[in-house]
Amino acid sequence: MNEATRDRTDHAAHSPWIAWGVGALLLLVVVILGLSIGAVPISTRDVINALRGIGDPSTIAIVRDLRAPRVLLAALVGAGLASSGGALQGTLRNPLAEPYLLGVSGGAAVGAVTALAFGVAQPALITLCAFVGAAIATVVVTAIARVVGGSADTKLLLMAGVVVGAFANAAILVALADAPPERLRGALFWMMGSAADATWPAVARCAGALLLLGGILVWRARDLDVLSLGDEPAAALGVDVDRVSRQLFLVASWLAAATVAAAGLIGFVGLVVPNIARALGARQHRPMLLMSALYGAVLLVAADLLARTLRAPADLPLGAVTALVGVPFFLLRLRRLAA
Amino acid sequence: MSGATQTTEQGATLSFDNVSVRYAGLTRRALDHVSVVAEPGKMTAVVGPNGSGKSTLVRTLLRRVPLESGRVTVGGKDVAALDARDLARRIAIVPQREEPVLPLRVEEFVALGRHARRSAFGGMSADDRAAVASAVDRAGIAEAIGRRTDTLSGGEWQRVRIARALAQAAPVLVLDEPTTFLDIAHEMAVFELLDELASQGQTVVLVSHQLNLVARFASHIVLLHRGTVAAAGDATTVMRGEILERVYEWPLVVTRDPAVGAPALLPLRGSGRHRERPSS
Amino acid sequence: MYPHPRLIRRALTVLLPFIGAVACARADTATADTATADTRDAIATAGTVTASIAADTDDFGAPLPTDARFAARVVSLNPAATEAIFTIGADSLLVGRSRWDEYPKDVERIASLGDGIRPNIEAVLAARPTLVVLYATAENRAAADALARAGVRTIALRVDRIAQFYRMLTVLGRAMGADARAKIVTDSVHATLDRVKALTASRPRRRVVWPAWESPLLVIGGGSYIDELLSIAGADNVFHDMSAPSPPVSIEEIAKRDPDVVIAGVTRAATLTASPSWQAVRAVRERRFIVQDPAVTGRPSVVLGMAAVQLARALHPELRDSLP
Repeated sequence: MNEATRDRTDHAAHSPWIAWGVGALLLLVVVILGLSIGAVPISTRDVINALRGIGDPSTIAIVRDLRAPRVLLAALVGAGLASSGGALQGTLRNPLAEPYLLGVSGGAAVGAVTALAFGVAQPALITLCAFVGAAIATVVVTAIARVVGGSADTKLLLMAGVVVGAFANAAILVALADAPPERLRGALFWMMGSAADATWPAVARCAGALLLLGGILVWRARDLDVLSLGDEPAAALGVDVDRVSRQLFLVASWLAAATVAAAGLIGFVGLVVPNIARALGARQHRPMLLMSALYGAVLLVAADLLARTLRAPADLPLGAVTALVGVPFFLLRLRRLAA
Repeated sequence: MSGATQTTEQGATLSFDNVSVRYAGLTRRALDHVSVVAEPGKMTAVVGPNGSGKSTLVRTLLRRVPLESGRVTVGGKDVAALDARDLARRIAIVPQREEPVLPLRVEEFVALGRHARRSAFGGMSADDRAAVASAVDRAGIAEAIGRRTDTLSGGEWQRVRIARALAQAAPVLVLDEPTTFLDIAHEMAVFELLDELASQGQTVVLVSHQLNLVARFASHIVLLHRGTVAAAGDATTVMRGEILERVYEWPLVVTRDPAVGAPALLPLRGSGRHRERPSS
Repeated sequence: MYPHPRLIRRALTVLLPFIGAVACARADTATADTATADTRDAIATAGTVTASIAADTDDFGAPLPTDARFAARVVSLNPAATEAIFTIGADSLLVGRSRWDEYPKDVERIASLGDGIRPNIEAVLAARPTLVVLYATAENRAAADALARAGVRTIALRVDRIAQFYRMLTVLGRAMGADARAKIVTDSVHATLDRVKALTASRPRRRVVWPAWESPLLVIGGGSYIDELLSIAGADNVFHDMSAPSPPVSIEEIAKRDPDVVIAGVTRAATLTASPSWQAVRAVRERRFIVQDPAVTGRPSVVLGMAAVQLARALHPELRDSLP
């Protein structure tokens, strides 16, 4: 709490309409770039034709079945991670909270690696196992917090999440320690994060999860506004703190789990984007979640573009690209906070 | 309660009947068969040393601690039977501490007080806006309206939180140590505001360390000691040397304050080394 | 409230270089080595091992034995070497193998001592070997050192190219007293490969792509013996320009290079045909597959000759009658 009244340039005073407009424009730009750029040079007009089904069959297949699902999946995953992060930051009252702190990534990786270890090859099945693993991990986290503390105390949730995550990592390492090289490679590739294998069914599944779970978060956004004030103030304002925090925590975590299941482990988006949205003036949770979804999509489509062009023809892991982009941004933001 | 321009609420009686609370793992009860009645139109103050159970009393209202026995009623209704939203419509609580982690503009912050009355998607109704405007006005924070909560001074922050509670437009207002960190001027402003609210018919309950101000403003004082009620009544009844010395375990003298003639407490000892002693 | 800024700055100064290093290490998977052992290479931050064709040192630079004095009890932790040892008839000297050694079938009667990469030294030493053949990868340097300290002679080899296969036969033949037999095998494979090469020399080259793995998508590149086999069999690998044995690429890149034929096993051919994204590749769309038998082409061994013949037959059916 500041004693002196700060006369800071208040970004909150800027109109959020600009932020929305810029975000929408950026999304359009990165999507078009994402559809147009790739190993095979395709002009924008040909891209549009291909989307409509006109042109050379290779080009149509490339645009419609390679680039389009990939770009869309990246956008959906980015939106999902960012809104999940925003909701978790509100629920846990910590602007540095990230979905991966809370057992989601560990659980999903355990699920996927277990499936791969059993020789499961179908991507849809691996995705399902990843999601189930993450869902179980988050339930375990809330159960631990409840058993230990008697309530969904946010500090307990964080600690339980870290513990479950550490346990999951250990389990994965043990499972992979004596795996044959191909399994190991497959597991690592899955974990590194990539939108490269995007297919339309995967896009549909991810969209479904985003609409359902993200929709619940947007619906309950007012509760998040109140929850983020603190346990006592929230209770004073009429929110059943234990029940609502637990519900929102689970929904937000499952949304992150769906993104991990679809595209592997991609960090930083859930941490950084909600802070951007708040800095752009979306302070209350309903606009913040929606703006986070928008900017999360932009960030990840851009990151995916970088991932496949920076060291073409190799495909860099998405998680590494987002970290490389996210860290400098985060340092800038920290300077502002510390100032 | 009706009308878009309602600025005062008719109070309701808040009653703690024989309430006992025991924190897990402790042998002594935090509250031991405590009864407190706060009536509308009055400022009721709960005072006592650290650990006497004052904040626990407030926490029972927040339902953060379970009651071992007894019950709490507001306007005759048992609090346990109300859901969180109903409770927030009847009792507005300003908790002791609050840190702004995710900053909001003051206006948005105060508007959160209307949470219990708004639907998940509805906008701010005319009633909502009027309540917020009235709250801002009464708490005296009109100039701070556009600022962010993390840019407020200690005094402004306290008054903004009080404004949020006022926006709830509840018949009962409970404040837990609302004047910590406030200088004399701000402290007096808060007490005068609470006094005015009480005189307009609201039920005001105040937990405070400031015995002298409490003695001046509150019409009903409850003194807690180790979880039980040591004394209850008006200032003259409660503010007596022998009771207070026993409870606070410190030598004191009770005089009259020169401003309004209320009982005033003077703690004794204190070295006075840096001052000239009056010749005895 | 917010965590203390100085603490965060400190934490980030530690994390940032680490993240950068990991990202670069990941990016280096583009230059990683063959399918069988390389994921672990990719994790290791040490550099790659350059396989030397020098006659007197192995791939770790250690001196090679010039005769069979160390061959009393041999442990082979390298699948290609194990098979080669059987081929040259020196298997009676084998007292241990790695768990990943599959060929020939008889290998099962040799005791398995565990992994070939980062082997369990104690288990290996318990077999009281006088010579250990290792797979030459950066991760096995520590094992080579440990065995040397224990007084056990080691030979580290890896076979990515056909020339290295011949060398392995020669080296093992010399080290295990089977020089003559090694030469016979070498010459025989050489002869078959030369014959196939001569026969296909006059035929039009077919452009091929050979997907080696799907998640991630790896194809056979210029650094693999399979690429050499393809060349001998009268095909041009569209990814010949990439120096790694199995580099990761995108489907789009394959579409761009537009091979005539995709070489794949039966299951993979079916998967690719069914996948909408692979329809971007003309050869998949037109169902132009050549099926190959991974038992024959999947590893560098004495069956290299047969592998070249099979490929040539599939690529140039008109040569069926003249091929051995």
